[in-house]
Parts: sequence; C-alpha cells; structure tokens
Amino acid sequence: MTPVIALSLFGIINLFLGFTFKRQSLQVVTLLFIICSMALTAMDWNHEYLWFGDMMKTNNLSINFSLIIQLAGLLVVAFSNGFGKDEVYTQPAEYYAILLFSLVGALLMVSFQNLIMLFVGLEILSVAMYVLTGSDKRNLRSNEAALKYFLMGSFATGFLLFGIALVYGSTRSLYISGILYNLSHTAPESLPSFLYAGIILMGIGLLFKISAAPFHFWTPDVYEGAPTIFTMFMSTVVKTAGFAAIYHILDVTFGGFQKNWIITVYFITIITLILGNISAAYQQSAKRMLAFSSISHAGYMLLTVCANQPSTSSNILYYSLAYTLATAVSFAVLMVVAEYQTGRTEKPENFDALNGLAKNNPSLAFAFTVALLSLAGIPLTAGFWGKFFVFTDMFNKNLTYPIIIAVLMSAVGIYYYFKGIISVYFNSGEIEKIETSFLFKIALWSACIGTLVLGIYPTLLKSIF
Amino acid sequence: MSSILFIPLLPLIGFLINGLSFPKLSNPVAGIIGTIPPLAAFALSLQLFLQFDGNTQIVPLLDWISVGELSIPIAFQIDQLSLLMLLIITGVGTLIHVYSSAYMSHDEGFGKFFAFLNLFVFFMLLLVMGSGFVTLFIGWEGVGLCSYLLIGFWNKKNSYGDAARKAFIMNRIGDLGFLIGIFLLFQEFGTATYQEVFEAIKAGNGSNLGLIAFCLFIGAMGKSAQIPLFTWLPDAMAGPTPVSALIHAATMVTAGIYMVIRANVLFEMSPEVLHFVGWIGLATALLGAAIGLFQNDIKKVLAYSTVSQLGYMFMGLGASAYTASFFHVMTHAFFKALLFLGAGSVIHAMSDEQDIRKMGGLKSQLPITYITFLLGTIAIAGIPPFAGFFSKDEILAHLYHHDIVMWALAIVGSALTSFYMFRVFIVTFHGDFRGTQHQADHLHESPIAMTLPLIVLAVLSVIGGIINLPAFVGGNEFLAHWLNPILPEGSHEALEVHFASLEFLAPLAAAFIPAIFAIQLYGSKKAVPAADAEISGIQKIIYDKFYIDEAYNFLFVKPIQFLSQFFYSFIDFLIIDLLVESTGKFVKSSSNELRKLQSGNIGFYIFMMVAAIAIILAWTLKSWIF
Amino acid sequence: MEVSNYWYFLSGLTLLSALMVVLSKNPIHSVLYLVFTFFCISGHYVLLNAQFLMAVNIIVYAGAIMVLFLFVIMMFDLKKNIPDSKTNLTKLAGTVVAGSVLVILVAAFRTIQYPTPDESTFNPNNGMVENLGKVLYSEYLLPFELVTVLFFVAMVGSVMLGKREVGDRNF
Repeated sequence: MTPVIALSLFGIINLFLGFTFKRQSLQVVTLLFIICSMALTAMDWNHEYLWFGDMMKTNNLSINFSLIIQLAGLLVVAFSNGFGKDEVYTQPAEYYAILLFSLVGALLMVSFQNLIMLFVGLEILSVAMYVLTGSDKRNLRSNEAALKYFLMGSFATGFLLFGIALVYGSTRSLYISGILYNLSHTAPESLPSFLYAGIILMGIGLLFKISAAPFHFWTPDVYEGAPTIFTMFMSTVVKTAGFAAIYHILDVTFGGFQKNWIITVYFITIITLILGNISAAYQQSAKRMLAFSSISHAGYMLLTVCANQPSTSSNILYYSLAYTLATAVSFAVLMVVAEYQTGRTEKPENFDALNGLAKNNPSLAFAFTVALLSLAGIPLTAGFWGKFFVFTDMFNKNLTYPIIIAVLMSAVGIYYYFKGIISVYFNSGEIEKIETSFLFKIALWSACIGTLVLGIYPTLLKSIF
Repeated sequence: MSSILFIPLLPLIGFLINGLSFPKLSNPVAGIIGTIPPLAAFALSLQLFLQFDGNTQIVPLLDWISVGELSIPIAFQIDQLSLLMLLIITGVGTLIHVYSSAYMSHDEGFGKFFAFLNLFVFFMLLLVMGSGFVTLFIGWEGVGLCSYLLIGFWNKKNSYGDAARKAFIMNRIGDLGFLIGIFLLFQEFGTATYQEVFEAIKAGNGSNLGLIAFCLFIGAMGKSAQIPLFTWLPDAMAGPTPVSALIHAATMVTAGIYMVIRANVLFEMSPEVLHFVGWIGLATALLGAAIGLFQNDIKKVLAYSTVSQLGYMFMGLGASAYTASFFHVMTHAFFKALLFLGAGSVIHAMSDEQDIRKMGGLKSQLPITYITFLLGTIAIAGIPPFAGFFSKDEILAHLYHHDIVMWALAIVGSALTSFYMFRVFIVTFHGDFRGTQHQADHLHESPIAMTLPLIVLAVLSVIGGIINLPAFVGGNEFLAHWLNPILPEGSHEALEVHFASLEFLAPLAAAFIPAIFAIQLYGSKKAVPAADAEISGIQKIIYDKFYIDEAYNFLFVKPIQFLSQFFYSFIDFLIIDLLVESTGKFVKSSSNELRKLQSGNIGFYIFMMVAAIAIILAWTLKSWIF
Repeated sequence: MEVSNYWYFLSGLTLLSALMVVLSKNPIHSVLYLVFTFFCISGHYVLLNAQFLMAVNIIVYAGAIMVLFLFVIMMFDLKKNIPDSKTNLTKLAGTVVAGSVLVILVAAFRTIQYPTPDESTFNPNNGMVENLGKVLYSEYLLPFELVTVLFFVAMVGSVMLGKREVGDRNF
C-alpha cells in the first residue's frame, strides 16, 4: 500500500515541480521518486498484509510484480531524455506525473483482492495510457492511435465490467476470498450458468489489455502511432500488470473452473501465437514488428496461464522481467535512431533506417542485438530461459500442440528479429555517432547486462521468484 | 573460505583489466597487472598447502543448472591433488609471466599477451580446482581456447593460424570423447561431481565403467598429445616461446594426466582401459623420441620430447603408478619449462633464429643460459641425482614389476631421450659459431627478468627429487604419503630396489651411454647435422615425422573436404534449400495475406472482437443453449 | 392507482419515445427523444426501488452523455449531411440479427421464473442514497479514494491534450 500512496503523492508533487524545475532535472527527480517507491515496496519483503479489510494484499508475489513494474517505469523514465527540447509541444511535468499515476494503476492491478480494485486499477492504467498515446499532438498517427485505443479499450472494459457483475450476481461477493469461499461451498449443479459467462467475459476484458488474439487488432496501430517512449511503457508495464491480473483471476480465483475456460484460452493462445508471429514476418517498420512481437510474447505467456501449474506465477514473473528488459532496450535504440533519421529518411522507423548502425555506434548496435536475441529466445539470454520455463509448464500439463506451434512460431520469430540484427551489422548505411545522455547509457547497459546475466545464471532470480 | 575463491578470481580480473584496456596501458604497467595475479594466487595456494589438514574441502560457488532432477553445481574442491597442481600452475606460471615481460617487451600486442596468459591461468585453475567433471570440462575447454589464441598470437604467417586451428580441432576431437564420457556418467549416476561418482563406484554401482573410462581417456589423448592426436603439439611451436613453456610443457598438456589421476577410482575398475592407456603411452613415448632424434629446430626437439615424456607419464598411469606419474608431472614441469625458456633465451639472443644448425659456440656468450640449459638436459636425461632421474626411474621401476616388455621398450626410449637432448645441447652451445655476422653482433645474454626464472627452475630441476625420494635411498617419500589418501588402496607399495640389480642399472646405462655417445659425436668430432637437402633414407623418413601428418591429411582431411563439397553442391542445393526455402516462402505468403487483416478500420476490429466473443460465449454456454 | 398502472404507463411512454428516436428525421429531435427515453427508464428504476440509480441515470446519462451528443450534432452542417444508405446486405444482416435477438428474448421470457422478493429480508432502504453512502464510505473507501487518481489523470490529460498551443488554428 505504501508505494501506491507514495507514487500518487509523487505524481502530484511532480505536477507542481513543473513550474520550477527544468526538464532534465524533472527526469532525475522522477527517477528518484520511482527508486524511493521501489525501496518502499521492497521493505515489505516476507511480510503479508491485507489492507483496508481485504481490499488489497501485499505478499511476496505482489512485491515481485510491483518491483518489475516499477523497474519498467524506471527504465522508461531513464530512456526518456527529458522529452527533448521542444518547449511548446511537450510538457514533461505532465508526462512524468501521468506516468507515475499509471504506475499506481498497475500496482493496484497486481495486488488486488476485490474485483472493484481490479477495475479501478485497470481504468487508471488505461486512461493514463490513452492520454499518453495521444500526447504527440501534432502527429496525426498519434491522435488516431489514441482514439483507437480509447474506443476499443472502453469496449473491452465494458465487457470486463459485465463479467464482474455476472460473477457478483452468481457468487454474492466481490472479494476474491469471498468468491472462493462461496464457490467451494455451493454444489456445482446449483451454480447459475451466468457464472461461466461472467468468468469468460472477465477473461476477455483482460485478454484485450494484453493483446491476445482475436482482441489484438488495436496493438499494431496503437504501438506504431504512440510516441516510442510510451510504446515502451505500454508494452512492458501494461502487459506485466495485465498478466498479473489474468493470473489472479483465471488461475487463482477460478482455477477450480478450469474446464470451463481452458478450451477458450487454449485456442486463443494458439491463434495469438500464429497471428502474432506470422503477421510480424512481413513488416517493414521495425516499430510495427515490435508491436506484433509483443502480441506473440503474450501468446507465450498465455501458455503458462493455460497450464496453471504451481510454478506459473514465478514463470510469469521471470518471463515478464526478461521481456521487459529486452523490449525496453530495443525500443530505446529504435527511438534514438528514429529521432536521428527524421528528416533524413521518409520512414525513420523502418528497418532500412537502422542500416549501418554498428559502424559508428557500436554500443547501441550491441545492445540492440542482445535485446533482439533475448526476444527471439536464443540461449545465453534471459528470453531463452523464459521460453524454456513456459514450455516446461505446458509440457507438465501434457498439452503438446501449443508447444509444437510455439516452437515453430519461435523459428518464424527468429526471421524477423534477425532482420534487425542484419540491418544493424551487415547492411551498409550512413549513420553518424548519436549522442545519448548519461542516464540513457546507464539504463541501456544495465538492461543489457541484466539480460545476459539472467541468461547465464537464471537461478539467481528464479530462486527468489 | 573466500581465499579459495580468490585463487581463480585474480587471474580473471587480470584478464579483464588487461584485455579491456590493453592499447592504453604502457608495457610495464600491463606486465605488472598481468604478473601479480599468478603471484598472489601462488601465495594463497602456498598458504592453503601449508595449512592443509588432510580433509577435502568443497567450496560451492553457484548452482549452475537445476532442471528437474538434474543439478549441476559449480564448486571447488581442495584436496591433496588439486593443491599440488595449484602450486605447480601458479608457481611455474608466475615465473613464465616474469620471463614474458622481458621476452615480449618488443611486441606490440604485449598487453593482449598478458591478458591471454591470465585467462589461461584462470581456466587452468578452474580445471584443477573443480569439484566435478563439468567444472573440469569448463576449464578443459577454456584452456583449449586459450591455447588456440596464444598459438596463433602472431598472425603474420598463414602457417601460424593453421597451427592454431589444428591444435583446436584435434583438441575438439578429444573433447567429443570427453563429453560423451560425461554424458554417460550422468546417465549412469545422475551426477558428475567427484565425490558422488566415486562413492557410487566404490559402492559397486554402475555398469559400463570401461566405456566411460575409455571416453574420458579419448579426451586425455587429445589434450595431452598422445597417439593418434599428437601432431598438433609440434606445430604449436609457432606460438611465442613462453606459451610453449607454460601451456605445452608444464600445465595444459598435463591436464589429461591430472584427469586420470583424479578419476583413478574409475580407471582402477576398468583394467582393460588402463592396459590400453599404458600401451598408448609407450607407443607415443617411442614415436616422440624417434622423431625428436633428427629434428633441427630447437623448439621442435623440445616439443617431441614433451610428447615423449607425456607418453612416459601415461605409461606410469597404465601401471597404476599414480604417484610416480604425478611425480614425473612435477619434475617435467620444472625441467621442460626450464628447457623451453632456455631455448627462448637462445632464440632471443640469436635474433629469432631457431635452427640449431645455424647456432653453435654460444657457451661463452650466454653463460647463464648455458649452465641452466645444461642442468635441464642432465635432468631430463635421467642422470642422478637430478630430479628427472628419480621421477623417470620410479616409473620404470613400477613398469619392471608390471610388464617386462614395456619396461624394455621404455628403456630404449629413455636412451633415445638422453641422446637427442645432449645432441641439441652440444650442437647449440659448443663448437664453432655457424650463424651470420649480424647475429654474432647482437649476441647477448638475456636480461635478468629472463635469467632469473631460468635459475629458479634450474634449482628446482636439480633438487626436485627430494619431493619423493624413495625409501631405499633414505628418502621420506613425501609425495607418496601426501597423495595416498586419494589413491586406491594398496596402489603404492614401497619399492625395494637393490643397487646392483638390472632394474636399477639399466636406466642408468640408458642415461649415461647415449649421452657420452652424443658428446663424442657432436662435441669431439664436431659433427653438424646435415642440411635439409642432404638427408636421405631412413633418416629422411624419421625427419619427416614418419609422414604422419601427410597420412592424416590423406585419410581424414581430404575426404571430409570432398564430402563437404559434395553435400554443398548436391544435397544442400537440391534438397535442403528446396525444403527450407519453400517453408520460408510459405510463411511469407501467409504473412502477406494475414497482414491484410489489420485493415486500420476500427469498425472491422470491433466486429471481429464481437464475433469472437459471440463464438466464445456460445461455446461456453452450449450446454444451456442446446 | 396501482403500481402496475404506473408500470404500463411508463413502458408505453418508453417504447413510444424510443420509436421516435429511430423514426424522426431531424437528428436533434432524435437526441431529445432519447433523453426522454432515459427519463422514462429512470422512472422504471424508481419502481424497482433503486432511487440512487435513478438519480445517477439522469445526471450521467441524460445530463452528461446526451449533452455531449447534442454538442457534436450541433457541430454538423445539417444541410450537407445526407445519411448514406447501407447496402442491401447490411440491411438484411441487421434484420436477421435483430430478429433472432427478438426470438431469443421472447423464448427466454417465456420460460423464466420471476423471483419474488422475500418478505422477511426485504429492506426498503436498500436502494437509498444513504445506504449506498454508508457502504461506499466504510467498506469501499479505498477504491473511492483511488478513483480520485483516475479523475486526476483524466483532468490533467484532457487539459494537456486539449490545450490550444501557439499557432493552433481556432475552431
């Protein structure tokens, strides 16, 4: 609970600091705020608290999720470079404040015990993202992306709410503990049928957020239109929070009803994997490719949700962390290259814009390569172990078809991830040395080294998870 | 506890510092940063050695792979054997580092050299300190890598790169056998840590032990240059001389012997494999000595001598004389390193000339080198009371009781050793100077940084015998008692050798007589080995290394190249390309179709969502609808 | 008058105004009819003893959302806008879907058993604002306070997005 309060306060303070501080200092201040709240989160390690009469729960699982989410926020703020020098069209104080508030929403989504809290957290996160997506006011794509995200997001939230209502109607309680108690004390025949509809609808509402097919149609347009720094935030924080919520709802609360929802999630997983990977293969724009790749990663993570093993929560954590680090780095490199190439090329976010990056920017090229290798699941990177654990879970459940499809689709994935590596190292192009700030370099290298360390020695964090 | 972890850590840090910043550091600084880690490691090892209380210590580092029931930890084991190896590696390593600081001082890759040396020391320490076969293998592979890097260090000529590659590939072939051995261990016992495996073997579990031992020995064949994987060692002389001294004389090539001694429990249970080990060792010893008889490159002679001496060590292992073999490892480290460093000093003085036919009469110009080289030669020939006599003759004594035929052939090899070592010595240092005027002008004794290690090693070569002086000459057999706890029961019986027996006199004769013959031939008669064009007959066959390299080329390299070409042009082109490309084309075309699904029309998106939700709900509630 | 009379009256009014929403030609008339429909539905809520819901319905739906509708419609140039007719296929599909919904609803209502409220546990104060406020401020205090964060984000966001920058064109 303390980090929630802290982050809300820090957000408000940030807004006021916008009057006095310069842009670069705002970035540092926001970084300090997030580090402070991470410390507050970590202080509760190995304690279990229930807040406000079973509204929110703090235990090791929620602390781990919170730390990953705040780490993602930290990376986003570190990569943001104070949002540039444009005095008129960018307002860093507001952006940072809304970022901090959205972290509040994400924290609610990972530690909720009452379905209302889930809804409030989801809405806070979503509305903040709608705003940030459209924050580049002069860019038509940004406006379009924000509108699409808003419309489809509200649509999905409607389904989530309908599902919550149906679940409440059938179980007479909104608390997870109450639902579990009531469901276990009622005979299965006398359960009303709209309970199952409620479960499915809640699942659908949450699956939209993590862009599982066939609810993924918003992802490419929104990721491509939003400013890259916020795309980075969306693909890391929203996905992690979304998966935490899905885990709590489907695996924890309604784990006993698995036979009702597993067929649906099973087919959704397969379609997500196929659609995400195959659509990404043709993309010319690197940013859009990364959007489709995030859809495919949602597919991989759904494998372990589908499997519902005891190790599911730790595998989701590990995969989220690996995915967060890799995505943050790849989007960061894409961001600086696109910024450099605007005005020089007509499509600054294509793979062609990355040509020849390695000649003058070896560290950027290396970090990008490591990130793409981790996303592709090549051994020695954290992404490999993430995929390995997820496949192991599914294997333990004896559902082999999704694993086969996942492995085949990983092979397809290697194609489009390596397109990036090839254009960085092997194609020739003219890119001069790109100047990046000190914080940017630190964030880039620590994420890179984290990926490699976790890839060589996964037990380091797996034992904590 | 933590000081044990520092021993491999310091060279790793030295590698990182030197490796990452080598163009920017000046030579003296890089040299100091490179030399301090092995020196510090030696000090720590010495402290551990002196404090050792006889109990094996296991220091876990991390749990590397834990999947299901498989658990591979990385941990270090400190016991009698590893402590001795530590002392040798760090001690001789430090001396060679000091030597290199002067030998390589004119080289522009000075810092890089020290970085690689430190990396090698790190991996070698990992190898001997590992508590299981997996850690051993990590070090095994690492030293192979460093050997490759260091052999091809001067990449001026193609032949250097080829030599490096040859070394690496031959090592790899051996490593394949080693890996299969480790896999079999996992299959048999579910673990590869020494303690657990050896407990299981002693308790009588496990079948296929012979197969496992054989596979592990294949690895030793590659790493320690036994027949048939030995041809890389002479070619490895293309690297700088300190590399030859450290890697190919004192440490890396002894890794195979270390492994066999470590796994003595396993090998004792497979007597056929031990038999095989012994005969391979004998064959290698003889072949190496024979080829070394007529070589004219000073380093090549020493290389073949190393091959031959390694054969002796394996012969000792084959006769279950583990202590004797290890004793020979230690003394061989001393005098072979000494000989190599001395050769380096000569090469350095002769402005990089390595052909002994162009040397001669260097005795007056290089006094310290002369004396130390002489001491090393006497040691390796097996002349008492130097170290080589005690170690080699202990092996021979065990062979006498094990297999007379082997013993006789080993005596022949010992004679050959004595002969060619004295041949090299006399031709190089005595007689008239046969070099060019330019070389004569630059002849000078080496600087103190090079001669000091020579002197230290010479002292060790002389007095090294006291490590395991046998009882019958009044010694305390320190090494035998030290290593006894880790060796099988009853593997060491005190040798009772009478001074007047054949067993004692034959090796002495084999040492003295050829030496006198060589001194006569090359010293008094001042015979000079013939130039290349004049060699003919049997001598030519031996000089050309029995055409073994050419045979390998014909039997293995050419067919593989042909096969690879065939696969490339036929099967790769027609079959695999077709399959792979059609899969790729299929993915691309389906991707092309699928991307049209993303139309940008938000109405379409929501329609798809609604349709999906309707289908899902209908399926979920189907029992209530129908 | 019996309650059922009120019910028939309100239902008739609701259906009539809903029909007029669809059938009227002027969009502004449609909006106003829709507002009236919402008022009628709110009346139904009163009959169901959900007074708070009635108030919220009127305030939020009729008051805020329909006013937004009106704003947008006012910005259209009504003379130029001719509604484009949908294709025949769409009309057919629409008819089919709506017809099947009607069939399903009729079938469902025929078999449904309407539960009657239990006399002993019926609390007439359930839907009152006072009860709702008590629950909201005691049990659901945390989400209530956290919704302020949501509002804050929405406010800051809308100001940030809608602010007129230097050089933007006027509407």
